[in-house]
Amino acid sequence: MGVLTGKTAIVGVGETTYYRDAGRTTLSLGVEAIRNAVKDAGLELSDIDGMTSYQAGGDSHGSNEMAQSLGMQLNYSLDIMGGGSSTEALVAHAAGLLAGGYCNNIVIFRSMRGRTGKRMGGQTPSGPVPAVAINTDGEALRIGVTTPAQNFGIAAMRYFKEYGAGTKQLAAVAMTHRYHATLNPRAFFYKKPLTLEDYISARWVSKPFRLFDCCLEMDVACAFVMTRKEMAYDLKHPPIYILGGSARTMSESPAYNPGRLNTAVHHHASNWASRRWMGMSGVTHKDIDTASFYDAFTFTPLIQMEGYGFVDHGEAGFWYEEGHGRLDARMPVNTSGSHLSEGYTHGIQMVVEMARQLRGRADCSTDACPDWEKGIHCFDREKGCRQVKKYGTQDSLPEVGFCGGWGSPTTSSSLVLSKFSSSN
Amino acid sequence: MTQSKPLPTPTPETQPYWDSCKSHAMKLPRCKSCSQFHFYPRALCPHCWSMDLEWVTASGKGKIYSYVISHRPAPGFQDDVPYIIGVVELDEGVRLMTNIVGVIPEPKNIWVGMDVSVEYEDVSETITLPTYKPI
Repeated sequence: MGVLTGKTAIVGVGETTYYRDAGRTTLSLGVEAIRNAVKDAGLELSDIDGMTSYQAGGDSHGSNEMAQSLGMQLNYSLDIMGGGSSTEALVAHAAGLLAGGYCNNIVIFRSMRGRTGKRMGGQTPSGPVPAVAINTDGEALRIGVTTPAQNFGIAAMRYFKEYGAGTKQLAAVAMTHRYHATLNPRAFFYKKPLTLEDYISARWVSKPFRLFDCCLEMDVACAFVMTRKEMAYDLKHPPIYILGGSARTMSESPAYNPGRLNTAVHHHASNWASRRWMGMSGVTHKDIDTASFYDAFTFTPLIQMEGYGFVDHGEAGFWYEEGHGRLDARMPVNTSGSHLSEGYTHGIQMVVEMARQLRGRADCSTDACPDWEKGIHCFDREKGCRQVKKYGTQDSLPEVGFCGGWGSPTTSSSLVLSKFSSSN
Repeated sequence: MTQSKPLPTPTPETQPYWDSCKSHAMKLPRCKSCSQFHFYPRALCPHCWSMDLEWVTASGKGKIYSYVISHRPAPGFQDDVPYIIGVVELDEGVRLMTNIVGVIPEPKNIWVGMDVSVEYEDVSETITLPTYKPI
């Protein structure tokens, strides 16, 4: 275990609606999500004295702007650059800040107009394209590389060649996450299942990726509140403790120079943290009841699952195809539908969802579970209950969850959450 | 308005590379201490961290390490879709991202391990772009 295992907890979560076009600024979206998370914790906005966020290339308002709009006085604020892997790394920051007494209640948020503002997948950004030097990314523009779909496509092609996986395994990921979204009233694809035919007949984006291999860009903000363990007991919901994880492991880009480390192009940064996350959290794979893996593409969960050691290299697609990631199976994954089918948030919604699931308060449709807010669930998937249960039990709630925070060869983070403050 | 393709802006570290492309005889940086090549050009050798580097004329030959076929155009690539973005591993041992040209962009025509060689396209008075074509 790390020295801060179980010392801090997530006590409030919230978000805005997932919009195709919010017609609002990231400032407007952000303050709403923060308000919702603080209210969910049972705290007052004036209790918050720390705030931190991430953004990609200046695509959002920052902590100071949010705090000013909310009339807060903070003792800590910081905004970092980055998309995937940022949430889990900021949790690691926050745990240290809280334990060190730099602040008492800290909000982590991400606010983005991922659909109507800066689109990661946008192929035709307005305005002139900047001329760039040749470096790890810089050569990209001149050879027509502007989106992650192309970079991850290159990784996927090589992965397929090495392991014999392919379209059917990618489809299994898309259909698994979509199934979970069909049960989530917040998800863009609520009640809209995906068949294999739908998947296959969709248009190509970057071969090997079809449309439903790619995440769903949205305008949305999400936030959550962390506090110290001793502050967490008397709040509204059961606290969800931070056990540990890994915070932005990184390495060289394998698209260039098989250099000192000689990594393959489909090698995921999680391989550098495959033991660290267990050492930091004090749990192992067998303790994980439910998980989420950053699904910018159907491909990216595969290399995370393998890198963090849940399955052997090359096996994750077949694991999905055999149904092990669906609700009621061994380890339900991405239970909100996440990026592929709930909406793209650069990872933060998976931590929000994990906190809800571990509380035993997944927000099911009220038709299925009218008292879900009290933690009462019917576990009937046909009716629409989406609460995870512990594998092999009738109605026991999950205890430990794992969030994998990005599928890039160069960067990854992870986070282990639990309803118990100790791994024992 | 149709957007044109962006061109690279050489930096002090990369100028010798672009100069060598312009003369259609590509050079790569090699470490004089450990004799290993690296790419992209940088201040030091990533293998042994020596700063004693030299530029050596490269074979211009290699193999496709992986690739993707982009069906949506990046700015300037409106007339090119679908086009191939490849990672090529050169005989010198370095990998680089590039376009694969001279082949119909279908998976049946392109494979991991396929032999390719460099092609030069003079696009301006100062810039020549290297692309790679199946041999």
